[in-house]
Amino acid sequence: MDSFIKVKNVNKIFNEGTSLEVIGLKDINIELRKGEFVVLSGPSGSGKTTLLNLIGGLDGITKGDIIIDDLDIAALDEDSLCNERRDNIGFVFQAYNLIPVFTARENIEYIMKLQGSSQKECNIRVEEVAKKLGIEKYLSKLPSNLSGGQQQRVAVARAVASKPKLILADEPTANLDSKTALELMDMMERLNEDENITIIFSSHDPMVINKAKRHIVLKDGRVVENEIIS
Amino acid sequence: MYKLIIKSAFASLMKRKVRTFLVIFMIASSLWGLLLMQGIYDGMTQQMINNAIRSDSSQLSIFAKNFRSQKDISLYIKSSKQIEEFLINEPNVKSFISRIVTSGLVATAKYSKNTSIYGIDVKDETTHASLDGYIKQGEFNFGKKNRGAIIGFQLAKKLKVGIGKKIILSAQNIDNQVASISLKVTGIIKTNNMALDEGGIFINKERAKIFLGLKSVNQISIMLNDYSKVDMLKAKLKTTFNDIEVFDWGELYPALLQTEQIMKSFSYISYIIVFFTATIGIFGVVLVSVLERLREFGVLRAIGTKFKIIVAMVFFESFFIGIVGLFLGSLIGGGTLYYFSLYGLDLSNFSDALDEFGMDAITYAVIKLEYFITAFIAVFSATFLSILVPLRVLKKSKPIEVING
Repeated sequence: MDSFIKVKNVNKIFNEGTSLEVIGLKDINIELRKGEFVVLSGPSGSGKTTLLNLIGGLDGITKGDIIIDDLDIAALDEDSLCNERRDNIGFVFQAYNLIPVFTARENIEYIMKLQGSSQKECNIRVEEVAKKLGIEKYLSKLPSNLSGGQQQRVAVARAVASKPKLILADEPTANLDSKTALELMDMMERLNEDENITIIFSSHDPMVINKAKRHIVLKDGRVVENEIIS
Repeated sequence: MYKLIIKSAFASLMKRKVRTFLVIFMIASSLWGLLLMQGIYDGMTQQMINNAIRSDSSQLSIFAKNFRSQKDISLYIKSSKQIEEFLINEPNVKSFISRIVTSGLVATAKYSKNTSIYGIDVKDETTHASLDGYIKQGEFNFGKKNRGAIIGFQLAKKLKVGIGKKIILSAQNIDNQVASISLKVTGIIKTNNMALDEGGIFINKERAKIFLGLKSVNQISIMLNDYSKVDMLKAKLKTTFNDIEVFDWGELYPALLQTEQIMKSFSYISYIIVFFTATIGIFGVVLVSVLERLREFGVLRAIGTKFKIIVAMVFFESFFIGIVGLFLGSLIGGGTLYYFSLYGLDLSNFSDALDEFGMDAITYAVIKLEYFITAFIAVFSATFLSILVPLRVLKKSKPIEVING
């Protein structure tokens, strides 16, 4: 298999060497191809968020390797990791986490600006992504004037606009009602198909899980199921 | 990108408007107070120094060797003619005067007091340093027959004499004999140079020569075109004439020089106070802002914002507060100083007390560019210092931990 992401024997121990030591992940091995639409599921505390954080370089690995597009992210220094997140990984958080003082447009174009894109390039891409996600009308609004679903769509647009190779979404629908959650998943599915972006998201909502093309189940920090859904 | 950085920082400041404006007000008002205090203090010191220079020492004074230490009338400047010729040809010399200086006793029918006698030429003194400008009562001349005397106003008070009153001056002449001369008060002078006001009597220079049996003068005082060249001229005079001693005003009035230095020290202390006021004020605002926005900064870092951009956001907040405070403080402080430099700060209500210290009742403020440069450095340093701890807090926080709360 031509792997895009390789998670090899990854272990994560929190508070290692102290009395508060907790095993977050144990001997995780996963290989994903480019363009996959993957869901991580499992009960609370099973390690879904921990695994997403490790893949996204937001937390350090205790043991093992994570290779994304032939790049060992555990070997990167803080600056290179920052560049990697900026250029190749998009994040969607459960609580949206938009910058409250930026308009929806400014939130979406923020990463592009970090990448050095011109305002003209930003405008074109923001319009394109906003149209796909149906948020053209809200671009000039502040996050506080948007509903939860609209904010999450803006968050997805922010993650997608910079054309990352990978999007990591930690329970993106957890704060949304069923209808909005399904709409968001449909949009993410379309983005996955149209832009060939690998998307990994975590969820324990069966309706959302059913949208994924690969289903990885975690329990007590271990992978207990890894299946491709046709 | 810069637009977003500025917008983020500015929005954060506006979120806490009252606190932001309070800190700006705190910086501006402390700067205003500092500038006003410094300008007025410098003005006071400068006026005291000017009074001493104009009324007595000039910028540079020449005496015969050992005259200052021995106060012996026979130690007059023997090469006065050559020195005067030298000074006429010296381009940096603006003007000079020669004086006869000695100690003596002044007496009326009822009172007597020790005095310093100055033999002067009224015309020369007028053009040299406008000594005539200090006349409080009467005229700046010695009458038709040069039998007049101009005396310090405190001395006149003590002797209880006024214009037209008779005084007797006694002093040791060059032959070590006590000589006396009867004079009429033609003018009363108030120079705010305490030594002169309390014990100075000016008489005609030629009459003083006859009275004391002197053939020459014992003080030559010089004003320069460019004061920065004072040391150069001093050295030149010393090497050209070996029978003289040359002093600048600071050596003749060491207390004034010390006052000037003390005032400078006070200024530095004041700047340190402003620096800490600004630092603590800005620190409070920025720290709270950073703590409130830890999650926001965590998200920014998670999505690929380098720490230096976060630093720029925090710095701009601090810089904005500092620079606005500095601008307002400088504007109001500078304006107030400008007003007082034109119209003076009238402290006439305290004139008796000020007279005791040789200070003018109206103080004209001084404005120097260095005040504003030092204020800028103090506030700018404060903006840097105030963000160090908040940035440390940010640096130590892990994005994922703050995002997850």
